[in-house]
Amino acid sequence: MKNLLNKSLRSFVIYALLVLVVSIPFYFFLIDSIWINEIDENNALIAQRTEIELNHLQLDDDELEKSLFLWNKVQPHTQLTKIESNTVKPDSLYSIARQNPYATKKDINRFRGLAKTIKIHNATYLLSVETIIEESEETIWEITKLTFAFYILLIIGFSLLSKLLSDKLWHPFRHTLQQLKSFQLNKQSEIEFQKSNTVEFEELNASLRHLISENIAVFKTQKEFTENASHELQTPLAIIKGKLDLLLQQESITNEQYAIVEEINVVLSKASRINRNLLLLAKMENNQFQKSNSVNISNLATDIEQNLSAYFINKNMEFTTTIESTILIDCNTTLFEVLLNNLLLNTVKHSNEKAQIHLTLTQQGITVSNSGTQALPESKLYKRFASMSKNAANSGLGLAIIKQICEVHGWEIQYAFDTKNHIFSISF
Amino acid sequence: MKLLIIEDERELSADIAKYLSDEEYICEFATTYHQAIEKIDTYFYDCILLDITLPDGNGIDILRYLKDLKKQEGVIIISAKDALDDKIRGLQLGADDYLTKPFHLSELAARIFSVIRRKQFDNTNIITQSELRIDLIAKNVFVKEQKIDLTKSEFDLLLFFIGNKNKVISKSILAEHLSGDFADMLDNHDFIYAHIKNLKKKLNNAGGNSYLKTVYGTGYKWEA
Repeated sequence: MKNLLNKSLRSFVIYALLVLVVSIPFYFFLIDSIWINEIDENNALIAQRTEIELNHLQLDDDELEKSLFLWNKVQPHTQLTKIESNTVKPDSLYSIARQNPYATKKDINRFRGLAKTIKIHNATYLLSVETIIEESEETIWEITKLTFAFYILLIIGFSLLSKLLSDKLWHPFRHTLQQLKSFQLNKQSEIEFQKSNTVEFEELNASLRHLISENIAVFKTQKEFTENASHELQTPLAIIKGKLDLLLQQESITNEQYAIVEEINVVLSKASRINRNLLLLAKMENNQFQKSNSVNISNLATDIEQNLSAYFINKNMEFTTTIESTILIDCNTTLFEVLLNNLLLNTVKHSNEKAQIHLTLTQQGITVSNSGTQALPESKLYKRFASMSKNAANSGLGLAIIKQICEVHGWEIQYAFDTKNHIFSISF
Repeated sequence: MKLLIIEDERELSADIAKYLSDEEYICEFATTYHQAIEKIDTYFYDCILLDITLPDGNGIDILRYLKDLKKQEGVIIISAKDALDDKIRGLQLGADDYLTKPFHLSELAARIFSVIRRKQFDNTNIITQSELRIDLIAKNVFVKEQKIDLTKSEFDLLLFFIGNKNKVISKSILAEHLSGDFADMLDNHDFIYAHIKNLKKKLNNAGGNSYLKTVYGTGYKWEA
């Protein structure tokens, strides 16, 4: 994945390369034509000067002959030859490439020439002036080199600018992103976005703020609803329970009626428990539990072990513990008890008779293992009411509560299935 | 003995009163904070059942009021709120017990029984029923002056029955009493049967009468 600016940089770099490459022939033709123009002008000037100066010299024919001979010898690029007036051709411009006569190795040069008829003392001469011009391949080479030098300069500039811009321009965006990453709906804290003078970012932040506050509001209502609903249900449940107790005291009820009341009692007790657990979850989500400092969890664990051992014995399970003494951690005592009770009762519920259950409590954390046949699907493990065994004694909230208690305390819970053992480990 | 039920849900307070009516209890009702304060000012009660959420005030304030008046009533908070700080605050402010709704009336009756017995300062921390004598503080049980050893569960059950004399108590109620929250997490309540059997045996072996009767197959009744 590339970042946005690198993506645009790529297109810029390619476009700049195209433009610069296309510019090379244009530059060449432009420079070449300027060259030729200037040389033509220069040649014309030389021709004009030669004509005027030679006419001024007032030389006789013989002297002129000698001078011209000398002239042509010394200045091979400016040749003056006498021609018959009837063979006069119009002035012409031409380009020619030939070997430099003074160079020892092969050196073809390009010349620009002017052939012009001039009159010296009424005699007609053909004056040819030739000036060397830069060879085209040399010009093109130089232009190309320069162009690429500029191109490299451009690329360096682009990347520096994009880095600078990405740091500066995108700073508010990055800040927003960071805030969003750390946002947790259940923490219920609004996000503070950085002020930005970029319209797009401000718009983005405004939309996000709106979205988040809506969500928080909905979430809050939902949580309050859970809490209120659970609260409101407690009293009707209490009344039903009371009525059943009164019903049991009736003289005239039959064994069947008693059995029905008892069945209702069992289900009712499950309903009350689900309700209480939902309330507990809602309260944890609403951060209604205070932590105490340095709670001796070893003592708590030992008490729980003693309370629960009867259930293990009742189901013929082998329950062993390794509890380090005097482990002090900051936690909520009640929640810790709920956590440990739930973890252990889970094993009672989900294990077969004669299962082996082991509890380890150290300064680092809690591990509860129980023998089992196959691994549990981890994705559904902590979901509310996603419990797989549909037995009547299951409220489907046990692990959700365990998970939530861990979250409240900032602990981590992990599940592993290893050598026929379900292992839940919590690290403080 | 006089009981004040401060509870805004009339249906519930009526049921409580009905359940307790065969005992020696006389129940009075208050449905609001002000009514409760008025009654407390005027009469003496052996035990007050106090709901925390009242339409015109907080039960915790009533508790504070009682404490300020240095009243000796036993107080049991019955609350729909399972809020922990309420519980701690309540007990700190002198409440004797805390019961979260929903509860069984038999559970409430047993608690009331214990609270009242604990609150009486003469030697009535001892409960006596014919040849049976129970020391609430030392948690000792004597049959015909012979001490019998009961486990914690058996002692709990005995007290529960004594607090619910002549009432039908079902197995699930006993399970809930003994295991609290865990009762419904257990597949069956057969462990109750073992406890009851042991309790009966220990009482009988010491020469006690068979007060504990089995009714409807899985229910129990302490007949006295």
